[in-house]
Amino acid sequence: MEKKSGIYSLAASIATSIVIVLLFYILAAGKVSTNPEMYKTIDIYAGMVYVFVLSMIVSASIWPGIIEKKMKG
Amino acid sequence: MDDVIIKIKGMMCGHCEKTVTEAAKSVKGVTKASSDFKKGEAKVSFDSSMTTLETIKKAITDAGYEVMDEDEACPVPVKFPVSKPEVAVKESGIKKSSIKITGMTCASCAQNIEKGLNKLDGVIKASVNFSFEKAAVEYDSSKVGTAELENTITSLGYGVAKNEVTLKVGLMHCASCALNIETALKKTKGITSANVSFPLERAKISYDPEQISVQEIIKVIENVGYSASLKLGKSDADREQRARDEEIKNQKINLIIALVLAIPISLGDMGRNLGWAFVPDFLKNDYLLFILATIVMLFPGRQFFEGTYKGLKHGMTDMNLLIATGTGAAYIISVAATFLDLGEAYKHTYYDTAALLIMFIVLGRYLEALTKGKTSEAIRKLMGLAAKTARIMVNDEEKEIPVEDVKINDIVVVRPGEKIPVDGKVVNGLTAVDESMLTGESIPVEKTVGAQVIGATMNKTGMIQFTATKVGSDTALSQIIKLVEDAQTQKAPIQKLADIVAGHFILAVHVLALVTFFFWFFIGFEKFNVPSTFGMGMVSPFLFSLLISITVLIISCPCAVGLATPIAIMVGTGKGAENGILIKGGEVLEKAQKLDTIVFDKTGTLTKGEPALTDVIAVKSTENEVLRLAAIAEKGSEHPLGEAIIKGAKARGIDVPDAQGFKAIPGRGVEVEYGGKRVVIGTRKLMSENGMDITPLIGKLEELEQNGKTAMFVAENNEIAGIIAVADTLKENSKEAVANLHKMGFSVAMITGDNRRTAEAIAKQVGIDRVLSEVLPEDKATEIKKLQAQGLKVAMVGDGINDAPALTQSDVGIAIGSGTDVAIESAQIVLIKNDVRDVAKSILLSKLTLNKIKQNLFWAFFYNSVGIPIAMGILYPFTNPPYLINPALAAAAMAASSVTVTLNTLLMKRIKLQE
Repeated sequence: MEKKSGIYSLAASIATSIVIVLLFYILAAGKVSTNPEMYKTIDIYAGMVYVFVLSMIVSASIWPGIIEKKMKG
Repeated sequence: MDDVIIKIKGMMCGHCEKTVTEAAKSVKGVTKASSDFKKGEAKVSFDSSMTTLETIKKAITDAGYEVMDEDEACPVPVKFPVSKPEVAVKESGIKKSSIKITGMTCASCAQNIEKGLNKLDGVIKASVNFSFEKAAVEYDSSKVGTAELENTITSLGYGVAKNEVTLKVGLMHCASCALNIETALKKTKGITSANVSFPLERAKISYDPEQISVQEIIKVIENVGYSASLKLGKSDADREQRARDEEIKNQKINLIIALVLAIPISLGDMGRNLGWAFVPDFLKNDYLLFILATIVMLFPGRQFFEGTYKGLKHGMTDMNLLIATGTGAAYIISVAATFLDLGEAYKHTYYDTAALLIMFIVLGRYLEALTKGKTSEAIRKLMGLAAKTARIMVNDEEKEIPVEDVKINDIVVVRPGEKIPVDGKVVNGLTAVDESMLTGESIPVEKTVGAQVIGATMNKTGMIQFTATKVGSDTALSQIIKLVEDAQTQKAPIQKLADIVAGHFILAVHVLALVTFFFWFFIGFEKFNVPSTFGMGMVSPFLFSLLISITVLIISCPCAVGLATPIAIMVGTGKGAENGILIKGGEVLEKAQKLDTIVFDKTGTLTKGEPALTDVIAVKSTENEVLRLAAIAEKGSEHPLGEAIIKGAKARGIDVPDAQGFKAIPGRGVEVEYGGKRVVIGTRKLMSENGMDITPLIGKLEELEQNGKTAMFVAENNEIAGIIAVADTLKENSKEAVANLHKMGFSVAMITGDNRRTAEAIAKQVGIDRVLSEVLPEDKATEIKKLQAQGLKVAMVGDGINDAPALTQSDVGIAIGSGTDVAIESAQIVLIKNDVRDVAKSILLSKLTLNKIKQNLFWAFFYNSVGIPIAMGILYPFTNPPYLINPALAAAAMAASSVTVTLNTLLMKRIKLQE
């Protein structure tokens, strides 16, 4: 049960982080296309890495509690 | 064989005790009997097949004493060493649990608990056995758990005895670590409660040994990345000091490395970015900066990454994560800029940021390690007080042995200038003992044969021999250390807020860092035209947003929030211990703030608890002659009133010869034959029965009684010679203590079993506002309840077993240290010195400590709520030139915040307790 909830939490955290990173990518790509002088492609990639790390930290702190509660019913 | 306690009214002295005991023993079938006039009870063991309780009671009544109602006669509580909830599964969902209960004083307590438990949804049947101090509960585990059962019992005002263990926890770096461990422990099956103190590095855990062992508990803590070991009593002080020294040494080495490397890194990095010409070119080299910064990350910085890894492995986040994310991001982006061609905007490196961050944080940890040692100084001092060796008598020869080997009843020899190794009773010699280390009392206390000596105190003047009465963990010193430690690991209710904040702090800060990054990347960078306004030549929106985001991570300090309360409680309770005031936990501190009424028990608390001669009135002869007659008559008596008369006579230098034909008349007085004359001393009833006319003196007798004194007639050959009065005299400091409390704005009351007239006379002497007189011992708690029903917040000050229920009932129970163990157990504040002035001091100390907690919490919240928005760049749009906190400055501020909280608390150590 504990192992299962760990796997679910990890999967949920990765999924959440990917969603946030995608959101970042979409918004950042828009910026690069509208203001290529100020925003470079490298900013998008570097930003995506940083956003993924922070999102993982945040979601990995939130999901385990939610999943445990759900599993306990 | 049945054991009962019979409550008796009318016992006044040792003689009464003897009469009651003999009356009980005279009943066939009674195997053992003893009585105690102070407690007003007799303990009787009898064979129920041979006699009944009624027969025993009748024998006692026939002896002239009043036996209280049957429901007041409680069976003797049997103490069991096992004190754990025993859980046995009966069938699926239905469980049976046996809970050991403390604090029950009579059968009605058992009924209360039974009712409370039976009301709970899910409880099928609950029965409480007063004698066995146990509750047997059958319940549906799907509806109710043992925690709820225990909560119900404690909410009713009783205690639940549990298996408890205190573990020494290492590798904690902030309050979040303590919360992480607590969370992990509380999630573990078999653990009912866990309190982890970060500053004290202790975990106090209640657990069910049938479900989990201590070793398994240690494993749980180790699994979340911390170390844990059983705290042993012996050389704890030394070991703790060594561990602390080791921590200080490690952080000092880390600090030196970080400092030595951060200076050239900063010069090189900033010199290149800002074009400082005085910096040699080789220092500006990216590869050299990379090597130096990597050393900083690998050595002083490794602790943060290791801590983060261990925590994340178990889903825990702590302060290490904030630092690791901040420094890691600055380092990685710099490495990328060094080795990859990322474009024009990525030419800058931030090795200086990473190195300075680590340097400042390590500096903070070093200072914290130094100051943390100071906060637990009190307890270390107490631990260090214990003597290491003792000299005992073996076959009439002195032998030096380790103090741990001293056994009860060993005769211990102590010379002048030596420490008294264990607690005991003096059997030979006379000396003065300095007890200041335990009681705070600076004047040495004289000790002669029969006096109690306390282990760890200093023998000053003479050589004494004493019998060891308490050794090992039973000594007063060990008990004090345990009380203080327990208090320090308990949390104050005010800490709940801090815990909630600290518990979600790391997560909240990461969310803020993420939001900040998004804001500056997508909105702020463009809107506030950063490339032209920032003026550092930095044009990358990612780098700018990243630096602000890192600053948010670094400036946030959960430590200050988490440290605010426990560190103040540690210093406050430690200061109390140094002054002979033991405060049992943080909750008391808060309750003490709300008090408005202090109720004193009279006997033994305000008064000395032993009568002394106060008045002698002569009819025909001199006062000394009347006193001499009275002393002659009382010479054979064991009655405390008699002893007071003899002491009074001796104090006046009166010779007291022996008399013949001593006869005690229970409840009335005594008579003897002396020099061919009959001398009688006693009550007016005794005189009247002997045909003496007491009318001319009755006015004087009543006057004395109105003043709270016990007055007796003295007669010689059936002719009244005079009146003698004795009274329980006030302690020297009682008046001052009451005056101090009045000055502090408290209403002071006195509770006593004495009649109104006597009680009021004593109250008048001390200046007490309110008198609760003619209160039976068992009704004291009810009287306190009545006061509370009027909306008053009441502290009860007492010393006896009969005060225990009232101490428990009151909002804050204060026990005088010379009192009984039960009173000390029931109270929340214990005054080690027999000085009632300490009541005011203890309340003052509580106020000081709570004020310090509030100050600390204010500064911690203030720091974070001001620092974080500034770090997020809130001032950037409104300042010219635009203002942003440098990440290195943020690290310095963060390090300073927790050190400030600690130093602010340490200021309390300098305050002198004056009421």
